[in-house]
Amino acid sequence: MLPNFSYVRPKSLDEAVRHLDSPENRIHAGGTDLLGCLRERVFGVAKIVSLSGIQELKGITETAEGGLRIGALATLREIAESPLIRSKYPVLAQGAAEAASPQLRNQGTLGGNLCQKPRCWYYRGDFHCLRKGGDLCYAMVGENAFHCILGGDACYIVHPSDTAPALVALGATVRITGAGGPRTVPVEEFFVPPTQDLTRETVLEHNEILTEILLPPPPQGLRSSYRKVRARRSWDFALAGVALALQFRGEEVAGGRVVLSGAAPIPWRSVEVEEVILGKRLDAETISAAAEAVVKNAEPLAQNDYKLPLFRAIVEEELSAIAKV
Amino acid sequence: MSKKEIYAVKGLSVPETPASAQEPKPWKQTQMVGKGIPRVDAYERVSGTAVYPSDVLLPDMIYGAVLRCPHPHAQVKKVDVEAASKMPGVRAVITGDTPEARVEWTYSKEARSSLFDPHCRFEGEPVAAVAAETPYQAEDALRAIRVEYDVLPFVVDERDALKENAPSVHGAGNVLKTEKYERGQVDRGFREADVVLEENYRTECQLHTPMELHGCVAKWDGDRLTLWESTQGVYAVQAEVAEVLKLPLSKVRVVGHYMGGGFGSKLKAGKYTVIAALLAKKSARPVKLFLTREETYLAVGNRPPNNMRLKAGVKKDGTLTALDFSCTGTGGAYPSGGTSLVDWLVRDLYKCPNVRTECTDIAIHTGPARPFRAPGHPQGAWVLEQMMDALAEAIKMDPVELRLKNIPNFSQGKEGNPPYSSTGLKQCLEEGAKAFQWKVARSKALAPGETGRIKRGVGMASCLWVVGGGWPPSTVILKLFPDGSLNLNMGASDIGTGTKTVMALVAAEELGIPLGKIEIEHADTGTTQYATPSGGSKTVPTEAPTVRAAAISVKQQLLEMASKELKLDAASLVFQEGSIAPAKDPSKSVKITDLSELKKRGVVVGIGYRGPNPENKAIIPFAAQFCEVEVNTKTGEVKILRFVSTNDSGRVMDRLTYDSQVIGGITMGIGLAMTEYRVLDRDQTGRMLNRNWHDYKLPTALDVPLEMTSLPVDREDSQANSVGAKGLGEPVTIPTAPAIANAVYNATGIRITETPISPERLCRLLAEKRKEG
Ligand SMILES: Cc1cc2nc3c(=O)[nH]c(=O)nc-3n(C[C@H](O)[C@H](O)[C@H](O)COP(=O)(O)OP(=O)(O)OC[C@H]3O[C@@H](n4cnc5c(N)ncnc54)[C@H](O)[C@@H]3O)c2cc1C
Ligand code: SF4
Repeated sequence: MLPNFSYVRPKSLDEAVRHLDSPENRIHAGGTDLLGCLRERVFGVAKIVSLSGIQELKGITETAEGGLRIGALATLREIAESPLIRSKYPVLAQGAAEAASPQLRNQGTLGGNLCQKPRCWYYRGDFHCLRKGGDLCYAMVGENAFHCILGGDACYIVHPSDTAPALVALGATVRITGAGGPRTVPVEEFFVPPTQDLTRETVLEHNEILTEILLPPPPQGLRSSYRKVRARRSWDFALAGVALALQFRGEEVAGGRVVLSGAAPIPWRSVEVEEVILGKRLDAETISAAAEAVVKNAEPLAQNDYKLPLFRAIVEEELSAIAKV
Repeated sequence: MSKKEIYAVKGLSVPETPASAQEPKPWKQTQMVGKGIPRVDAYERVSGTAVYPSDVLLPDMIYGAVLRCPHPHAQVKKVDVEAASKMPGVRAVITGDTPEARVEWTYSKEARSSLFDPHCRFEGEPVAAVAAETPYQAEDALRAIRVEYDVLPFVVDERDALKENAPSVHGAGNVLKTEKYERGQVDRGFREADVVLEENYRTECQLHTPMELHGCVAKWDGDRLTLWESTQGVYAVQAEVAEVLKLPLSKVRVVGHYMGGGFGSKLKAGKYTVIAALLAKKSARPVKLFLTREETYLAVGNRPPNNMRLKAGVKKDGTLTALDFSCTGTGGAYPSGGTSLVDWLVRDLYKCPNVRTECTDIAIHTGPARPFRAPGHPQGAWVLEQMMDALAEAIKMDPVELRLKNIPNFSQGKEGNPPYSSTGLKQCLEEGAKAFQWKVARSKALAPGETGRIKRGVGMASCLWVVGGGWPPSTVILKLFPDGSLNLNMGASDIGTGTKTVMALVAAEELGIPLGKIEIEHADTGTTQYATPSGGSKTVPTEAPTVRAAAISVKQQLLEMASKELKLDAASLVFQEGSIAPAKDPSKSVKITDLSELKKRGVVVGIGYRGPNPENKAIIPFAAQFCEVEVNTKTGEVKILRFVSTNDSGRVMDRLTYDSQVIGGITMGIGLAMTEYRVLDRDQTGRMLNRNWHDYKLPTALDVPLEMTSLPVDREDSQANSVGAKGLGEPVTIPTAPAIANAVYNATGIRITETPISPERLCRLLAEKRKEG
């Protein structure tokens, strides 16, 4: 059952920011993640500030430079079905399409997807763990089959988003507005790893709103794709996923990024894989070296070592597929 | 519509009427029964007008909520409700200190407890309850209750519970009981075998997830209590509540017209039922108390986890020589059948002279189990049917062939070895294999030279279900009105399986009354007759013959009336499409709606009783399922491509509800095989971690194949009862999981002996296999 709160639906960004004058005031976009957190009492709430009345946060439009501006309120379904995104940035359309379930994609927004809270079952449950200000990470010695193999430190969540890896791979940036004015941050720097701060997931301050996502024009020879493995075929987060956005020059990988989901507390750029494939043709040898590289630095917990062969498998599968496009 | 059209449509002739005291003959050709007729309450269910217990809204009704122990093992020292009692909207607060709430509660006969037992032996035991004007006020009040606990050491995994120094659940060792069974000479059987295989298996704990939550609305009128409860059996709830609250049965009325699924978890009342009644009494208001999904996961039941071992011997020609089975399991904190029936298939499914089983039920600090669709059987099938697959491979025999070689025609496991009233296991296997194109599919799957990462596999499994014949008692009343319309009155619940539809079809068949003229009153202890809960696949074979008996009684009375009117001996009269006429002179007919005595009396009441089952006969349903899967041999992702299910459940009473059972059973079996399992924080807090629908993963529409074929072996079992039907609801889910496991083995060469067949598990096993080369 939800706790008590007041509710406002401002018409403008300024008004919305004014309502965010306390950390207990929460932004509501589609609410698919927020309401769950409130019901589970993961955090407190005084006022809910709905963004749904703010027109400028909606829509998907092409920018003058040939990139794309996506309003924070664009729904996952809009992203998944947008012909523009499907043709120019398939990795993003695929990431959105692989998220959650049809109902949740109708309601959930891209902004909300980037700002969603971790799915660690201790965090979501009635456990006062480190990330909630307690003094113990229950997952460390507890049930950690769905936790991270990379980038964990004191806290071992995996980042839940299926769109964030695509956005990092594509080199997207986000626009943020707050009491201190607007700022722009690369998506890659938007997420906060536990090594930096255990208690937050993004760089957003409580009174800041993510307003839009900006995609640079697709570079020459861009091929992109997203692959997700999950325990259930719908309505489930990634056990392992890989977003590829690679620039090909002829058969050779001239640049680009490889980003993992289900691997780490933030969307995880696999520099190890990138190093292996950069400047190479994706032949069997390179692909197999890349598959080894993806988990080279992995430190599995007691119950999630299956992620090692799993990441190897999907990196191999996806690189083979993208080489053939 | 003119009155004349109501009774008996053209072409609906009715079966012969036996003289009283004579057994009715089996139906020859049916007109209504066996067809695919949409449910009689389809409109209400689909349009939302059906009032389920959770929809009940009464004037002045308030809302109850239960505070539950957050620890798997704790002693309640103090419950302070002072602040909560004073909160806005709060109308009643009860705890173990409330005199009226000091009542006994029996989770099972063996272990008594109390409603608010201060010794909490599982997470989710009720500690206090409130009723308030709104659900939110009730929740706020719960949060204001202060409880002091002595948190005690716990054990939440039965594999830890027998270790030395394991915390004790009931003050002694944690073994509740060990059951042994033996026939023949097992050791000699193994010596006679050409091949002996042995393997360990495990199935995980599956949580009950009916669509409608557990709960009720309770209302008092003076000393009379009415409960609208989501239940599989209104009379079972009545008996339990009357006993606990020390009320006469007549003062407890339980109504459960519609209910949104139970699968065994709603065969009885819950503590919530009694709590609602106490809150209603204390507040002098009707109280609605429905649990949250999280509460149901903790407190109202599951399919026990089982650890099993099977050693099996077979000769080269496929003759089974010996089976030696052992298992442990747990029904949680109170004896709840942690191993019950797990060994039944080993004892009974295949011909085998030498069988030994041993089952040890263990107590741990988790919520008590409740029966779960075919208790014990899917677990046992997981073991036996994978073993049969392995044996077949070892002796180079087709798995279908091996099963066909070992079909018994009597029950080896039951006292006195009664013969089966009918057995269609052979047909299930043969017709299923044919429809599935087993041979072709298998040779394709086995074809060498497949190098891609995606591999196909096929697998199959068969089963029986321990009881399929229903049983007495049951009473059904039919009321035929002078306009030819009919009321059908029975105590049984329709738990979503289509009971009402099937019973209306039986009445229509026997009386020639169109379905649209039949109304059903059911599942109400105040107005309908005694029935045992709908469980054990018993409802059709119990109620349908009873309805038929009641309909025959109506016909016999009508014949008597006509005999007076026509001044002819009743035995010389027959029914013909809404009229009664002398068999020899059809022109002298009298319309039933014109019978003057019927008009005068206003009603003909036919009463049907469920007679006993035939003596020394085992009435058992059989089934076989075949499936094809596609496995990504690198990631361990499994896609189930298709299923064929062949069932021998006697006569098909209604094809649509029949097929729905098959599809639902396979879906549930896919859950057990692939995605569903309880996760407990075993080593730290003992609490349940996946208590919501995201973390506890039920199969979605994308996890079940589009292609699910139900292929009934439609043979009436005239020895079983007067309608020739056996139970269906449980066998449909028994062979599913092992059929999938066998198909995955066929595709990968990996035996998955533990559920679930998840990418986590399979990916790891595939990697290990590659490493070994
Ligand atoms: C059962 C289930 C399964 C799911 N499966 C997946 C999955 O497989 N993959 C996946 O990626 N996601 C999944 N999700 C998450 C879902 O996709 C995201 O929750 C959704 O995109 C969030 O969007 P929303 O608009 O509903 O966010 P909200 O719930 O409205 O917000 C989420 C959080 O972000 C904050 N927020 C929202 N918008 C902004 C903004 N513009 N600026 C600043 N802060 C903001 C909110 O305050 C809140 O804390 C699942 C969710 C559920 C409930
Ligand atoms: S992994 Fe992080 S969120 Fe989960 S229990 Fe540990 S600290 Fe808390």
